[in-house]
Amino acid sequence: MTIPLNDSALTVNQLSVNYGKTPVLWDISLEIPQGVLVGIIGPNGAGKSTFIKAALGLIQPLSGKVEFFGESLKKMRQRVAYVPQRESVDWEFPVTVRDLVMMGRYGRLGLWHRPRRADWVAVDHYLEIVGMTAYGGRQINQLSGGQQQRIFIARALLQEADIYFMDEPFAGIDIGSETVIIRLLKELRNKGKTVFVVHHDLNTVEQYFDWTMVLNMRLVACGLVKDVFNPQNLVKAYGKSYALFDEALKRSQQKNTGVIP
Amino acid sequence: MQIQSLFSFFVDPVLRAPTVGCMLMCLGASLVGVIVFLRRQSLIGEVLSHAAYPGVILGTLFAGIFFVQTFEELKLALFALTGAFITSLLGLWLIHFMEEYCKVPSDAALCFVLSTFFGIGLTIASEVQFSFTSLYKQVLTYLYGQAATMTDIHIAIYGILALGISLLIILLYKEIQVITFDKQYAKSLGINIKTINILIFMLVTLSVIIGIRSVGVVLMSAMLIAPAAAARQFTHRLPVMFLLAGLFGLGSGFFGIYFSVILTDYFSTYFPSARLILPTGPMIVLVASFICIGSLLFAPERGLVIRFMRIAAFRYRCIGENVLKAIWRVGPDTSLHLNQLANYQACSKKYLCFILWRLCNRGWIQRDDAGKYLLTCDGRYKAARIVRLHRLWEVYLVDYLGIGAERVHKNAEEMEHILTPELERELTFLLNDPKEDPHHQPIPPREEFNV
Repeated sequence: MTIPLNDSALTVNQLSVNYGKTPVLWDISLEIPQGVLVGIIGPNGAGKSTFIKAALGLIQPLSGKVEFFGESLKKMRQRVAYVPQRESVDWEFPVTVRDLVMMGRYGRLGLWHRPRRADWVAVDHYLEIVGMTAYGGRQINQLSGGQQQRIFIARALLQEADIYFMDEPFAGIDIGSETVIIRLLKELRNKGKTVFVVHHDLNTVEQYFDWTMVLNMRLVACGLVKDVFNPQNLVKAYGKSYALFDEALKRSQQKNTGVIP
Repeated sequence: MQIQSLFSFFVDPVLRAPTVGCMLMCLGASLVGVIVFLRRQSLIGEVLSHAAYPGVILGTLFAGIFFVQTFEELKLALFALTGAFITSLLGLWLIHFMEEYCKVPSDAALCFVLSTFFGIGLTIASEVQFSFTSLYKQVLTYLYGQAATMTDIHIAIYGILALGISLLIILLYKEIQVITFDKQYAKSLGINIKTINILIFMLVTLSVIIGIRSVGVVLMSAMLIAPAAAARQFTHRLPVMFLLAGLFGLGSGFFGIYFSVILTDYFSTYFPSARLILPTGPMIVLVASFICIGSLLFAPERGLVIRFMRIAAFRYRCIGENVLKAIWRVGPDTSLHLNQLANYQACSKKYLCFILWRLCNRGWIQRDDAGKYLLTCDGRYKAARIVRLHRLWEVYLVDYLGIGAERVHKNAEEMEHILTPELERELTFLLNDPKEDPHHQPIPPREEFNV
């Protein structure tokens, strides 16, 4: 494993993201240390997925800077892994479970190179870790929601990265899969990896995460769960005080686009 | 002309070029078609081929201006292909522009580009008709395709292009796979999706423009989609899908030509006055469509016919079991007449007769001298088991899922045919082997039909 260059795993400086003329994230600045499990929480449309996508360079931010271990994403690409939302893909796609997990190696293999024997062995290894060995040859549409999520995680594990971004890995899965996944995440954290998880269930935040980011277009709070996961911050993110901001924002969107819904 | 053997299509100096040319172009189109099909962009082929038409005409027009003669085929073909390539790309860019910057819905943008470009093409075509009359014939061949007039030069061009397409797909297989499956994830891996997307669209454009010479602008998109849709029916694996689509493509290319030649031959021999000539392009598309329809209907796992057969088999089982149940409920030792049984079943009397005959054959019931039906000993056990499953399921629904007792019967009617012995064991265990269903009717105990 390479030695980290900088103490913090992720540094974000004044990140703002727009969809067209609609602001989604406003002026986010934060620093996350290595080896923590970070829960990203906030109401619907708060920009949680957008934050992950902007950090991964999947969408172009309006302004701001994102650094991993003090380096640009370009240099650190192979040390960052992404687990997209389960619903974002077509599960009818003609690939098997093993084929899907192998995709985790494509970035490292590079153009023109085919997966080698060692890569397939690694695929089977990570399938075993997520408890899906028996399903290796199955077509992906035969899996349940929890199983789909598990092979997504196996695919990210195959990237053998140092930072993981997971978009709602606990959405719509069975309790067994949830237990397996949270155990894996804690193991990753214990190995010094940093894991970001977009999360919906406020009841389990304290139980699952070390750190939390409370997001609602702006960063409401970011820090240790015991410091920032409190009613004041939750009211700020979910409560009425933001309704005013919301309303003003909608009006500004209408003025800017000239569309009245 | 005598009837040709299959092999002669590859050596005959007249047939060789169209046969090999069509097969190569179908190969390229069907491979690219798999990508387009999986991306759910099936219409793109249709748009690209129509957008290529003005290019073909402009290319030919330029050829005319530069005094290229009708017999200089290589030059003419190159002019036409280059023109087609340029306007296709222009169409593609316009679609992208409309979607991205004008927020036009994708399907509307596709329709707009298709009809506009084709309209422009037709307008210029009428101009060419007067200014370069000798070249106008060339222009027309691209509209509906004309494989018969292809020469070895065409084979060379198509061969190189088809080879290039296949090679690129093989080399970029893993990138194509991951981008088609999940663009965002591919991007997160550091794959340059912009470049690869451009390459893919180049491939699609290339395969379309080499296809319009033999199949024509109007029918080209079928050659992209039909082999891919057919291949999808047979496999869950992408490499196999590429392979099958390629084979289907080659097959439709060859048999399209084959049938067009053979049938034209046949008609000219037996009905000389009709003067029927079956054109190659439409024939190729027909063969491809035939393969596609065949696959949709008869594919072993996903085919429509097999699915209907499965449904029919289930219905057959349900009715058979319902008959046993009906007799059992009237009284395990009573015998019922056909008409009495018909009152309980929602099926025609003829089908019921067939079912009764089968049940007799299988040894579940027997027919007495009066023509009434009576459960055999085995039939009694089987019927009791079905009733048991029905009532167990009702107990489960009421006790565990909290559904009102008056609403559970209908669901249990279905589940009694579905529950397996393992599920029955689990239910028995979970419900603590109940003796009564929610309607206070006794549940036949396990032992009764185990002994």
